[in-house]
Amino acid sequence: MANDTAPRYWRNLDERDAGQGGPCGTDEFIEPVLPDLFPRRGFLKAAGFGLAALAAGCTRAPVEKAIPFLVNPEEITPGRSLYYASTCAGCSAACGLLVKSRDGRPIKLEGNPQHPLSRGGLCAVGQASVLELYDNRRLAAPQRRGQNAPWAEIDTEIVARLGEVRRRGQRVRVLTGSVVSPTLQAAIGRFLSSFDDARHVVYDALSSAAILEAHERTHHVRVLPHYRFDRADVIVGVQADFLGTWIAPVEFTRGWRDGRSLDGTPPRCSYHVQAESILTVTGSKADRRYRIAPSQTGLLLRHLARHIADRTGVALPIGDLPPAPVADSELADLATRLHATRGRSLVVCGNQSLDDEVVTNLINHALGNYDAGATIDLVGRPSKQKQGSDRELRHLLDEMEEGAVGALFVLGANPVGDLPRFHAFADLARKVPLTVGLASSPDETSQVCTYVCPDHHPLESWADAEPVDGIVSICQPVLEPLGDTRSALESLAVWTGTPQSAYELVREYWERVVFPRAAASEPFETFWDRAVEQGVITLPTAARALPTVDLAVLNRIAPLAPAGTRAINELTLVLYPTVTMLDGRHANNPWLHELPDPISKVTWDNYASLSPATATRLGLGEGKVVRLEAAVGGAGKAAMELSVYVQPGQHDDVVAVAMGYGRLGTERFARVGPQWIDAQPATEGDGPVGVSVAPFLELTEGTMRYTTRVVTIAAAGRTRPLAATQRHHAITASPRLGLAATVARPIVRETTVAALAAEGASRDRSGHEPIRPDLWPDDHPYAHRWGLVIDLNACTGCSACVIACQAENNIPVVGRDEVRRAREMHWMRIDRYFSDTGDGSVDVVHQPMLCQHCAHAPCETVCPVLATVHSAEGLNEQVYNRCVGTRYCANNCPYKVRRFNWFTYRHDDVRANLVLNPDVTVRSRGVMEKCSLCVQRVQEAKAEARRLGEPLRDGDITTACEQSCPARAIVFGDLADASSRATKLAAGGRHFRVLEELNVRPGVGYLSVVRHRPAQGDDKRHG
Amino acid sequence: MSNRLLTIVLLVGLGYTTLALAPRLTAWRLPGDQQGYEPVQPIAFSHRVHAGDLQMACLYCHSGAERSRRAGIPPANVCMNCHKFVTAPPGAVRAEDERAQQEKRKPRRVVSPELAKLYAALALDDRGERDPARMPTPVAWMKVHNLPDFAYFDHRSHVRAGVMCQTCHGPVETMERVRQVATLSMGWCVNCHRTSTAQGVAGRPVNASTDCVTCHY
Repeated sequence: MANDTAPRYWRNLDERDAGQGGPCGTDEFIEPVLPDLFPRRGFLKAAGFGLAALAAGCTRAPVEKAIPFLVNPEEITPGRSLYYASTCAGCSAACGLLVKSRDGRPIKLEGNPQHPLSRGGLCAVGQASVLELYDNRRLAAPQRRGQNAPWAEIDTEIVARLGEVRRRGQRVRVLTGSVVSPTLQAAIGRFLSSFDDARHVVYDALSSAAILEAHERTHHVRVLPHYRFDRADVIVGVQADFLGTWIAPVEFTRGWRDGRSLDGTPPRCSYHVQAESILTVTGSKADRRYRIAPSQTGLLLRHLARHIADRTGVALPIGDLPPAPVADSELADLATRLHATRGRSLVVCGNQSLDDEVVTNLINHALGNYDAGATIDLVGRPSKQKQGSDRELRHLLDEMEEGAVGALFVLGANPVGDLPRFHAFADLARKVPLTVGLASSPDETSQVCTYVCPDHHPLESWADAEPVDGIVSICQPVLEPLGDTRSALESLAVWTGTPQSAYELVREYWERVVFPRAAASEPFETFWDRAVEQGVITLPTAARALPTVDLAVLNRIAPLAPAGTRAINELTLVLYPTVTMLDGRHANNPWLHELPDPISKVTWDNYASLSPATATRLGLGEGKVVRLEAAVGGAGKAAMELSVYVQPGQHDDVVAVAMGYGRLGTERFARVGPQWIDAQPATEGDGPVGVSVAPFLELTEGTMRYTTRVVTIAAAGRTRPLAATQRHHAITASPRLGLAATVARPIVRETTVAALAAEGASRDRSGHEPIRPDLWPDDHPYAHRWGLVIDLNACTGCSACVIACQAENNIPVVGRDEVRRAREMHWMRIDRYFSDTGDGSVDVVHQPMLCQHCAHAPCETVCPVLATVHSAEGLNEQVYNRCVGTRYCANNCPYKVRRFNWFTYRHDDVRANLVLNPDVTVRSRGVMEKCSLCVQRVQEAKAEARRLGEPLRDGDITTACEQSCPARAIVFGDLADASSRATKLAAGGRHFRVLEELNVRPGVGYLSVVRHRPAQGDDKRHG
Repeated sequence: MSNRLLTIVLLVGLGYTTLALAPRLTAWRLPGDQQGYEPVQPIAFSHRVHAGDLQMACLYCHSGAERSRRAGIPPANVCMNCHKFVTAPPGAVRAEDERAQQEKRKPRRVVSPELAKLYAALALDDRGERDPARMPTPVAWMKVHNLPDFAYFDHRSHVRAGVMCQTCHGPVETMERVRQVATLSMGWCVNCHRTSTAQGVAGRPVNASTDCVTCHY
């Protein structure tokens, strides 16, 4: 790819508009230079006296104690980590976990490579959930009306009141989120079986109920199919963020990546089209992306269905349609591609409209995607991840309204926080004589419950999961419960009248149900031990026939409503989950709040996202506060005030706001970060982080809708700047250098499938020829040369690596105010570059940026105290105890990856400190830090290899980022070893190094993005 | 004016510093250097008896040194491997035996006062049985060899390379109470790494890296 055809990249609109010549930069330093209030000489004198006084006051090191076990548990050796296989409970996807436990406390969660679904990946939420274990806000004891009470008392009272309910024949309801644990499902069933009128109501705050309902209509089974993105060669995503938040993002990301493994044999590159209203992680990775309004979704799908019907000959009766929101020729081309890959194509829709889902099902049916071995598994191994029924929820609300419910148990759900306020779940709950919440932290729902019986954290309890039919995993405790909590399994057993421990319950269920299904020849003991050791077992499934499809169902779907006219200040409100907050159940987690959103790079807030055109039209700029209002629930009105964020790639008729914010308990984050003289509170008026969008949700036609509200938007007349990291750490050339027009700094590279195929194996080095002259002689042959290769084509920007790095390397949370000052401490950031596509959409490149471990590192030459030096294994070392904090290195780093400790960040929560990795120093104020390439893991692996007398093998060392990456985009390896995976990738045609013209010889390389570009006439499959 | 004031402040400061530092200059050592540290331990455990007289291998008790970065202080159950039966020094037991013989009675169980502390930690009663009324409490030993939190020493690699325990810990087998012999300063570590790489350890060549990240991360 020659430079003149390279797209022009920009990170924000200012950069886009700044100049048309070439890639341009923003100022490198966003902080203002301090005025000369305090002369430098005076400062040095004062500092000298300070030092002298300090030396005079020196005392001996504090006395430390070493307290060994009295009786050592057999498997524990102090200083060695143990890994236990378990299951993530961060969402209903139930990915496999390996819990890293040191001296009896879990310190990090990693993906379980043996898990057939997640295959070693783990998302940001899963990574961060270990911090929630040590959250001191978790309930430590059961409560009666907000007051702590002993378990025995509470159990007696609940059992007595249940007896009353039974006598009177009142209704008992258990309201939960999707239950992926078969043992818990059975326990709920057993508990409810003793009542005359009892029901288990399941709902999901991020509902996929429309998909289940649609399959009930088309296939006569109320089932969520298991989508196999790994089998798909053409993927069409319609309002479904399957790489970010939809159903099981980790599994889908891995599957999607399998379809785009350009380095595999044979190389594959699936064709991915995304039609969406807002720019999602998934849309950012699409080959072709269409911006459509939420109301146009049905129209687009119907047009596509008609094209598919024309090609496949399956009669899909679709009436007259208004013109499609995208060019008909493009739809025809897409239909042709889908048709050509029948059975290996996949159309998914996630907009929660029953009619649209029905059309989607029929498209997939016509394409043969439901067939055995094709991309949608409906009968073989269907998914059990999202089983919520919004219809049932609606029914429950009506029952509660009537006062017909005698007892309500809420488990793994927060209906008061999740549901639209006008449904007034809180008021309805007060009509129920007995309400019991089983939340582990106080939330909106537990506040209205008579009794709160806190559940264990998933790392404290035995449980199991069956996310997909026949794939069952174990969730095992790795430490004693920290509080006086009790597993929900045990609580239900007590109330059923058969108290049993969670371990007995799970084991018994497995012996009774799972073991016979496994049809294993081994005894149950062996089977159970194997299951606990591996964490997951795949059971055989019986072959079932695909139900016949009722095409006539199309006649029953409602005709499309004609597009109405809108007032100029009316927009459609799109409520979307972010990869960090999801439905808000992890709102207590500061790591997730500080993680920049993959697309907007905003932290610590939700915001009103507008397209650039709409923002201009309404005269709104970034940070301006707007008021969104809508008529809800008859006469009611809902309103919220949020800062504006201008998001390229979003549809013009849409204002988008993230869900999961404004949660109870997040008020405590108002004072997060260092409280220095100029500190600003992180939240408005010391309220919660962000604003709750629950009032704007709509429960219509039996499904929870997130994109149907029309809101009026008006400026609130004030400004509240967002803490967005997108302007921080610019590595483009500074405009002050005056180079912008002449020097192109290719930071990311992309190519097309066609160009890559034409290029073949020959390596394109145009414009990237390294500059040969060298200041330093190559006098140190490397024993190892550790490096990373990051595949930008696979990277979705999901940010799992950022949290993995935070957990592994004890990276502090700095708070909203410090993030605004560009002082976030993440060693790894994901730079996100936009480029215009010409149709108002944008192409996106995500680039994980971390210390490049340059062989000729510019930081090393400027350090006056040799606190950053080079190792014999190619690492750029940062020595904290030598660093005096001149920050010269950060200034001289071309990649802007060094982070300075402006403060001694808070480590005063004794319980939260238990999550710290004992293998990594906790840095103090005045010290520079940066990515060490997980040198503690390197050293551990080397020491282990030495101890065992074995050579180090490629793959023995994984960095935290590599381990967690759901897309397997990161490969760590020894670049001095010709046979390592990293070396092989680095020799490939897509490999490049960032800012190679600087001749700093980075140890981190990247593989360029490859896109299908229909304009250049490439074929559908490469290789 | 301000210059004169500054000079006065400087001189006063210098004087104060000299006065404050003068008595310490005789025993000048680097901050953090705890050479000679010999704290009183909660139980007067004698390495001279165990490692010296009885010739017990270091790794018998500090078994982590082989497979972990930490050598570990032995848990009380390791002590009980012997001290379930050995409750007092042989002299005391023999004396009691003789006395019992003279007084024509069965010898009593003799428990040395130091071992009594171990049994108390394990909540054992006079007959060496577990006393359910008492609460077991782990022994809080005083840590002698302290490295700063930013330095990571790996026992396993050193033991594997054949470095003698005494190289760093001194002649522990002669010590009644453990004392820090080496300075454990960085210069001391690096010197050994350099000489080991040049001369080998125990006759074998080694590559003792002097990269910063060998110890600091």
